[in-house]
Order: sequence, then structure tokens, then C-alpha cells
Amino acid sequence: MAETSHGTGGLTFDAKKRSWPNEANVFIALILILLAFEALGMTFRDQSFLFDFNEARDGTILNMARIKIIILQVSIVGIIALGATQVIISGGIDLSAGSVVGLTAMVTMSFAQTGMVNGNPNPKSLFGPEWMDLPVILPVLLGLIVGIGAGMINGLLIAFTRIPPFIATLGMMVAARGAAQWWSRGQPVSFPTESFAAIGDGMMPVVWFAGLAILFHLILKYTVYGKHTYAIGSNEDAARMSGIKVARHKTLVYAIAGALAGFSAIVLASKNLTAQTGMGLMYELDAIAMAVIGGVSLSGGRGSIIGTCIGALIFGVIISGFTFLRLDAYYQEMVKGVIIVGAVVLDQWRQQRASLKG
Amino acid sequence: MTKTLIVAGVAALMTTSAMAQSIGVSMARFDDNFLTTLRTGMEDHAATLDGVDIQVEDAQDDVAAQLDQINNFIASGVDAIVVNAVDTNAVDAMSKAAEDAGVPLVYVNREPANVDSLPDNQAFVASNEIESGTLAAFEACKMLRSMGYAGGAKGYMLMGQLSNQAAVQRSKDVEDIIGIDMCNFITLIDKQTANWSRDEASDLMTNFISAGDEFQVVFANNDEMALGAIQALKAADYDMADIVVVGVDATQDALQALQAGDLDATVFQDAAGQGAGAIDAALALANGEDVDQKVYIPFQLVTEANVDDFTSKN
Repeated sequence: MAETSHGTGGLTFDAKKRSWPNEANVFIALILILLAFEALGMTFRDQSFLFDFNEARDGTILNMARIKIIILQVSIVGIIALGATQVIISGGIDLSAGSVVGLTAMVTMSFAQTGMVNGNPNPKSLFGPEWMDLPVILPVLLGLIVGIGAGMINGLLIAFTRIPPFIATLGMMVAARGAAQWWSRGQPVSFPTESFAAIGDGMMPVVWFAGLAILFHLILKYTVYGKHTYAIGSNEDAARMSGIKVARHKTLVYAIAGALAGFSAIVLASKNLTAQTGMGLMYELDAIAMAVIGGVSLSGGRGSIIGTCIGALIFGVIISGFTFLRLDAYYQEMVKGVIIVGAVVLDQWRQQRASLKG
Repeated sequence: MTKTLIVAGVAALMTTSAMAQSIGVSMARFDDNFLTTLRTGMEDHAATLDGVDIQVEDAQDDVAAQLDQINNFIASGVDAIVVNAVDTNAVDAMSKAAEDAGVPLVYVNREPANVDSLPDNQAFVASNEIESGTLAAFEACKMLRSMGYAGGAKGYMLMGQLSNQAAVQRSKDVEDIIGIDMCNFITLIDKQTANWSRDEASDLMTNFISAGDEFQVVFANNDEMALGAIQALKAADYDMADIVVVGVDATQDALQALQAGDLDATVFQDAAGQGAGAIDAALALANGEDVDQKVYIPFQLVTEANVDDFTSKN
């Protein structure tokens, strides 16, 4: 097609040289996995995975209940993954998110309790009646402060003591879990006020996840903050020499990741109407896996929020797909492992090819 | 002069340590609600006893860490050890270490695989796990019958961690109950693990609902998962009067759900009672008294009828 000239300085558009965005690959993987479950379902269960041919239960041909749960079950970890994406793009890693979720859930729920349950005084009261029925903004703000605080400690340690992010956030992971257990001596905290329960009710986790994903997509793509994050992850020395305040910026990135972990804890506690010290266990690894499957490079500098969101959807499809096929949880974990490693292998292979092409 | 002082000091130390009895406790994990009640039960009971010191360690679900803790207790000269085993099949090394050192050992809550061949100064305090799942499942069966489903009912089962003895036993209890003549009208559509967690159970239940099959009953291995299932069912506009949901543990959250009419039955396991029983058995063994090697604290069924008796217990 010789006539597809754009006339810019004699450069012609060459379809062969056009680079295929990474997110497109991940999206194709998502479609392939969906098709695989469709085929397996038709073969072994005589039932469709995503469609509902027999009875239009929701007035559509789609099985809306299943589509909703696919997204709902990854929304809370997805919010953490938005933070993990930024940390990994900046060349770091955050292992503390899951424990920060546990601690934040305990703290936020302690100030979100209602005084009366079924007409009786709240049996799980932690601080006594004067700390009950507080306005919802208070527990939410406290939760965010805990999350940001934990994230800032991570960031300051990494930026100013120069210890590797792996170690700094590993320390926070252990310490925050301990703090979560210490907070109420291991007892669960339950029965929130109605206004607090509304935060994570029904499909609200999806709304928060989608809203925050759009927000951080725009921030990473169009703001100085985003450009500096990519710059530091690609080449920290070059970023420093071009005048970016690397230490300050890193602290900010970890603080934002902490805030997102804290917020996901608020949604999680609200959704479940309880806070337990074991909440959020291994969430950091699921979040990192979502980002990596979505094409975020662990060596920093590459990846996007869109990719991470598709990575999260792949997670959701796999969980729902295996339940749909009535396969045991063992297989689910095994396949999850294979997919995580497979995604990184594919990514490496793509990078090598790209660098060969020059 | 210094020598005599040291001797006097050591003698003084020895007499005080002979008076105050110290018990080392190794819990499988701290971040588990039931085990926390058990742990506080032990601490509270020890606090009421004169001269009993207890030191509690968290094995964090790690078999190796637990054995290290036992050996550390032995090395620091405790009078008795209480173990809430991480893995009920990995107890031989702990039993042997305590036996070789001559330190009494009491297993609490989780039945060790060597329960029938325990050395003389070791014991086991718990509730008989076979009661819990059976009581809940049979109650569900009776309820379904009285609701007019004796011609056929379908259901789901939410299981705990598959590596856990209680999860395996409670699941088997449900299968056993729906195998007897009176209850064989119940069939399970599917059973999956939700790892004891409310959040995972809620997601799993929503996945089940999305398959579109009709069902009348949900068996959960614990209350947290039963509550997760109830949340999912309510979100999908099911009337909780039409669905029988049963759990195990009788946690405060579950009792509230029972009073609200959402949960139909649960089973009370006396965590604090087990904790206190374990401390008593450990002290008795340390004092050289005779102790039953298996001490069972009974389970109790909790329904709407007797829920008020339990709200202040756990």
C-alpha cells in the first residue's frame, strides 16, 4: 500500500514496523482463556460459561451474574494492584500490601462500629460506647492515614537508607501483620454502621476499582508524576541527572501504594462487615501477579494500568472458570502459577525480539 | 565469699522456680478467631491460678517453627508444654522431644495422629470433631424435611483448608449424614474450598449462584464461610427463609446472624473450656497426678431456640 504516506518528512507508514501495543497481547490472552472455558464448558458441562441461552434471566443473552462475580472477586486485590503497578514501574516492589490491608482493616473497623446489633449492645465493642456510631468519614480517614503511613515508612526507608525495596517492604509485611494481631489481641472486630457498610456493598468494590483505575491511568499517562515514575524505573541515574528528585518521588510512589492498600482494606472490611487479623494474606503476591500478567516489567520502566486491569480480569476469569467446571482448588492454584510464569516468559521473549529489531 | 553468694543465689532461684510453675504454649496460629478465644481462655485461666506463668508462642502454621518452639521451651526448663498442633500428622517429633526431656505435653484442640499411642505424661484435650459437622448437618436435614423438601433437595458445601483435619472431618460428616436413609433426599451440586474465609466464601457462593441451579441448603465447615454465603445469597435477592444455611463455631457474628434469622444453625465448640482444660491437664501432669489421656469437651447445637444462652459465651 504505497499510498499510505503521511507526508511527514518523507517518512512512510510501514504496517510491518508498527509496534503492537503490549496490552493488546494481554487482551488476546484474556479472550483465548475465555474461549477455552467456553469450549470446556460446552464439552464437559453442556453449559456455556458467559452466555445464558435457555432463559434470559437478566433480559440479556449474557450470564450477567457470572460476569459480575468475575470482576467483583478481583476488585479489592485490583485496587492494590494499581499501587503495585506504580511501584514496579518505578523499579521497586511492595511486599507489604497484604499485611497493611490486615492492619488497616482492624483500625478502620474499630472506629466504624455500630452501638446496637439486633437491639442488643454490640458484642464486639472494642473501645466502649463513646467510640460507636461515629461519622463514616472518621474511620475512612484513619484507614487512609494508616495506609499512607505504612507506605511512607517503606518509601523513606528505600529512598534514604538505600536498602533494597524487597527488604524494606518485607520488614513492613512482618511488622504490619504483627501490629494487626496486637491491635485487638487477635480478636475480630465486627458490626459496622450502615453508612460504613455501604462503602463495599454489592457492586461498589467494582465501582471503586474502575474509578481508581481510570484516575491512575490518567495520572500515569498525562502528569509529571507519571513521567517521572517511568523515568526512574527505566534509568534511575539518568533520571537523577536530569533533575528529578528521585528520593522524594520514590517516597511519594510508596505512599500512594500504601494509600491504595489502605483504601482496599476499607472496602474489604465494609464488604465483609468484619475485620480480622488474617485479612489480606498473600494479597500482595496476587496484586504483583496481576500486574506482571498485564505486562508490567519487574525490571521497571514498562507497563500500564490498562495492562494490570486486564491482568486482574484474567485472574477473575480463571477463578470463576474453575468453579464453573467444578474442578478442585488444587488445580486452580497450579494453573495460576503456570500462567504467572508463562506471562513473564512471553514478556521476556517479546522484549528480546523488540531489541533485535532495533 | 562470692562463691557462697552465688550458691545462695542459685538456691534461691531454684526454690522460686519450684514454686512458680511455668507452662510453654505453642499455638498453630494467632490470626484465627477460634484459636484466639482458646488462647485467651488459657491466659485467663492461668491468671486465676496462683503461681502459674504461661508463655504463648505463635507457630504461624509452620511445622518446623513449632518443633523449634517446643525444643526452646524444653531448653528453658518449663514445667509443662501445651501444643495446638500445626499439622496433626507431624506430632511424633514433638512427642518424642518432650518425652526424652521428661517434660509433660498436652495437645489441645487438634487431635494428634498419635493420640492412641501417647507416652504416659502426655494428654489430649479437645472436643470430638466428629460431633460438630454431624450436629449441624443433621439439623439442616431435619429443617429441610419440615420445610417439605423430603422429596428432594439440592445444596452446596463450603469447605475449609483442605490440609486441615477439621475441614476433612466436617466435610465427611456432612457426606455421612446425607448418606443415611432419613437424609438421603439431599444431593450436593458441588463442594469447594473457601479456606475458612468469609470473603472467599462470598465470592465462591456468587460463583455457584451464577450457574443458575436451584438449591435449598448450604453446608459450611465454619461460621465465617456460612456468613460469606449468606452475604452472597442476600446480594442475589434470595429470601433467607427459603435457604437453610448451617455453620460451625458459634462465633458472635454467627449468633447475631442466627438471631436475625439469616443463619439456621451452628455448633458451639467451647474454646475457652478447652483452653482451661489443657492448662489444668498440663499442671496435673507436671505435679505427677493421674490424668485421662483423652479429655473431651462436648459440642452443643445452637439454633434460634437456644441462641440466647450462647451470646455471652464466646
